[in-house]
Amino acid sequence: MRHFLRLSILLIGLFSGSSSFAADTLPPVNTADDLGPQVDQPIEFPHNRHAKDMGINCMYCHTYARRAPVAGIPPLQKCMGCHNGIESVKDKPRIKELFKHWDEKKPIAWKKVHDLPDYVRFNHERHVKRFIVQQDKPVQEVCGYCHGDVKEGTVARRQKPLSMGWCVSCHEKAHPTDKTAQATAQGPNDCWQCHK
Amino acid sequence: MIENEFNRRDFLKVLGWGGAAVAVSGCGFTSVQDGVENVVSYVEANEYMIPGIGVYFNSTCAQCDAACGITGKVREGRVLKLEGNAASSINRGRLCGLGQAGVQAHYNPDRVTEPRTGKGEKLDWEKALGQVKEKLTGVSGDEIAFLTGNLSGHLKVLLGNYMDALGSKNHFVYDAVAPAVMRASNKKAYGNEMPALRLDKAKVIVSFGADFLGSWVSPVNFSQQYAQFRKGVNNGGRGVLVQIEPKMTLTGANADRWIPANPGTEGVLALGLINALGAAGVSIPSDIAASVSAYGVERVSKDTGVSAEQIQKLAAVLKERSPSLVIAGGGAEGYAHGSQNAAAVALLNQVLGNVGKTVEAPSVVPFPQLAPTAGGTAGLKAFNDGLAAGKFKVVFTLGANPVYSAPAFMKLADNLKKAAFKVALADAIDETAAQADLVLPLDSAMESWGTVVAEYQAGDAHIGIQQPLMERLYDNTRSAGDILLSLVKQQKADDYKAFEDYYAYLRGAVVQAKGSLGGAGMDDDEFWSTVLSSGMVKTGNASSSLRTSASAVTLPAAAVADAAFPLRLLPYVQPSMRDGRHANLPWLQESPDPLTTIVWDSWVEMHPKTAAKLGIVEGDIVEVTSKSGSIKAQAYIFPGIHPDAVSVPFGNGHTELGRYAKGVGANVFQMLDPVFDQETGELAINETHVKVSKTGKRVIVVKEEGAAGGSQAGKKIAGRLASNNVDLSKEV
Repeated sequence: MRHFLRLSILLIGLFSGSSSFAADTLPPVNTADDLGPQVDQPIEFPHNRHAKDMGINCMYCHTYARRAPVAGIPPLQKCMGCHNGIESVKDKPRIKELFKHWDEKKPIAWKKVHDLPDYVRFNHERHVKRFIVQQDKPVQEVCGYCHGDVKEGTVARRQKPLSMGWCVSCHEKAHPTDKTAQATAQGPNDCWQCHK
Repeated sequence: MIENEFNRRDFLKVLGWGGAAVAVSGCGFTSVQDGVENVVSYVEANEYMIPGIGVYFNSTCAQCDAACGITGKVREGRVLKLEGNAASSINRGRLCGLGQAGVQAHYNPDRVTEPRTGKGEKLDWEKALGQVKEKLTGVSGDEIAFLTGNLSGHLKVLLGNYMDALGSKNHFVYDAVAPAVMRASNKKAYGNEMPALRLDKAKVIVSFGADFLGSWVSPVNFSQQYAQFRKGVNNGGRGVLVQIEPKMTLTGANADRWIPANPGTEGVLALGLINALGAAGVSIPSDIAASVSAYGVERVSKDTGVSAEQIQKLAAVLKERSPSLVIAGGGAEGYAHGSQNAAAVALLNQVLGNVGKTVEAPSVVPFPQLAPTAGGTAGLKAFNDGLAAGKFKVVFTLGANPVYSAPAFMKLADNLKKAAFKVALADAIDETAAQADLVLPLDSAMESWGTVVAEYQAGDAHIGIQQPLMERLYDNTRSAGDILLSLVKQQKADDYKAFEDYYAYLRGAVVQAKGSLGGAGMDDDEFWSTVLSSGMVKTGNASSSLRTSASAVTLPAAAVADAAFPLRLLPYVQPSMRDGRHANLPWLQESPDPLTTIVWDSWVEMHPKTAAKLGIVEGDIVEVTSKSGSIKAQAYIFPGIHPDAVSVPFGNGHTELGRYAKGVGANVFQMLDPVFDQETGELAINETHVKVSKTGKRVIVVKEEGAAGGSQAGKKIAGRLASNNVDLSKEV
């Protein structure tokens, strides 16, 4: 009984281990977008409308990304700041829903689509500082490294694997240290950088 | 049970492979979740609130009566971690484990969340408070009693006003493990209940059973002073600590010498030291010299069990190293002659000339109405006597759990039934709330407003401000202040109509006094926000002074031993458990006792010699029986206790108080004998005599400590003696 148990656990372990390892060896940065499932949100927020048609900077709404570990979902106040003055769409169902929440002072319970496990500490601020501030790369490109081509999508959806192997594949590459420097450096590869 | 066919090694192998499998698959897609959890954004965000970044608020710790200042880290509207407030002169940026667990008291899953009747029916607040009003109609003031823990600040004022409005004088203050005898003897000896102790200035400290590093009065403050005392910051060199106590505490374990004098003979030793000092040429007033002349070294040695050589050495150290500091704590006071013991220790201080040097006049908050009313077990006795006589019809309890912590001989649980209507203001259903007819649920200390004045003021006198660190977790809890304000409004609506809630009352009261609180010239809002951001108000000191004149002390003859109960029970106040009110916090249950390292249980501590005589080994379940009751607990063999005594910690053995406390360990309060300090009427907690017998059961003691002999991973790390060969009283 004991040996059977041990063997079966071993086999299950190896199988699941190897199968996920196979998935991990995909060339990471070139993974196709739209990996995550469609998730119903309380309001179907059209990212394309805002990021492409209006050309709004990602960090205009996700303002916390440059000063905190999390990018944050903008407060309703932020949405209202513009939409209060945009008469043309005020009677659209989604905007009506927005106004309803605002009038009731009731926050919107969005569904998380980028929920890393609790033992992973991803820091938005560090990445924004590195790529946008130091290397002066376009904001949409930098956010797109992890979030895909947001301006072409509507409701937010996870686009990349966000697995450890995928993170590491980028951290193993050499990046220029700033926009003018010839010197390059890798992202940190110490365990404790993410697993504190 | 794990059967033999599946042993530990196999288990670890399977675990190892399974763990590896999980680890490998963890790198895949399985652990990123899509659309499972919610992310709720703010409707309107404060400028200073950034998701993922902590904001810090100052408040005051409510875990014990030391009133340390705290700083709470709040993220996304939830309090996560507490630290000490560096601006507080009590704890100067540090915080103890008990204080840290304040967060867990707040998030405790067993909190009461709605007003409820004794039968457990939920009520709304209007109905609950309406019931109180209804039950109070036609009841005279004498028939109403309010039992609280130590109170200070505006809550005390409000309670006083409520009792006045009801025409009742029956406010009883009860603290099960209070230094109440010390207060009285200090008042007598120095003219002040709580003089400031300057451990850092002393060259030698002799502590008679005061566990000042663990659980006594203001341990965080004393620990910092102790560090300076050892480093020689203000006393010119490393200080020497001698601890005299029959049961080793954390302080005893840190001492240079731990002397287990016979229990109850601390006063004899103190007078003997005075006599020895006189003989060594220290000038002593003649009346005092005459009064201690009977305490020659031989006699003192015989009474206390401390060798004559050690007494002489101790006297020599005290003479050579001045200023010194002598402290009497719980270990010396819990006797029928506890007051005399404490007085003898105070006299030793006076003879040594320490008053004014290491025993200083304390800082005093110049608002006597806010000063703490501190009680002890005398308050409980008076409350219980009233109940037994059937005098009280309506009884309130707040911050006290007498049904758990009153000794069985008081029959308090039965007496409480004589009161027709019992209201418990409680944050969890403890033993007292379980008997109540109405339970009013309290906010946690992280949710409520308050002002606290510490009984032991170190450095600058200040009023601690308690402010909510986050929104209420449950909509239907209220702070004690809000409940009292609603109750007092029932009686005197006009006087309090200006105050919508306790916050308004508190803010009004503090802002009104801004002139004398350093806020002259500021507008109200500015002053109030300064107060909130610092978490305290410095008040300036009212003058206080100490009396230095000494008067003689007489000690009673030693009690005769009772052959039927040969051992003395020395209940132990554990630094994290104290009187048991925090037994429902798993962090505290889980943190090992500093000496025995035992977790999640009670134990009976006994000397190896005593254990050998009784044939008891570690883990034996033993029954400890006194005249008044008995408990069963695991035996722990420890050389740090007097051979004629056993020790059991307070705090466990709850029959209520939620999932973490219920059924853990044994309640030693129940078995205490009815002996009281003759002067103060405080329960003499060390006067219980017991016998110990084996029950035949044995368990593995769950503790952090390794086996004696010191081996780790198969390697001998330190040559250690087996515990029965150690004599700690001879160690340096």
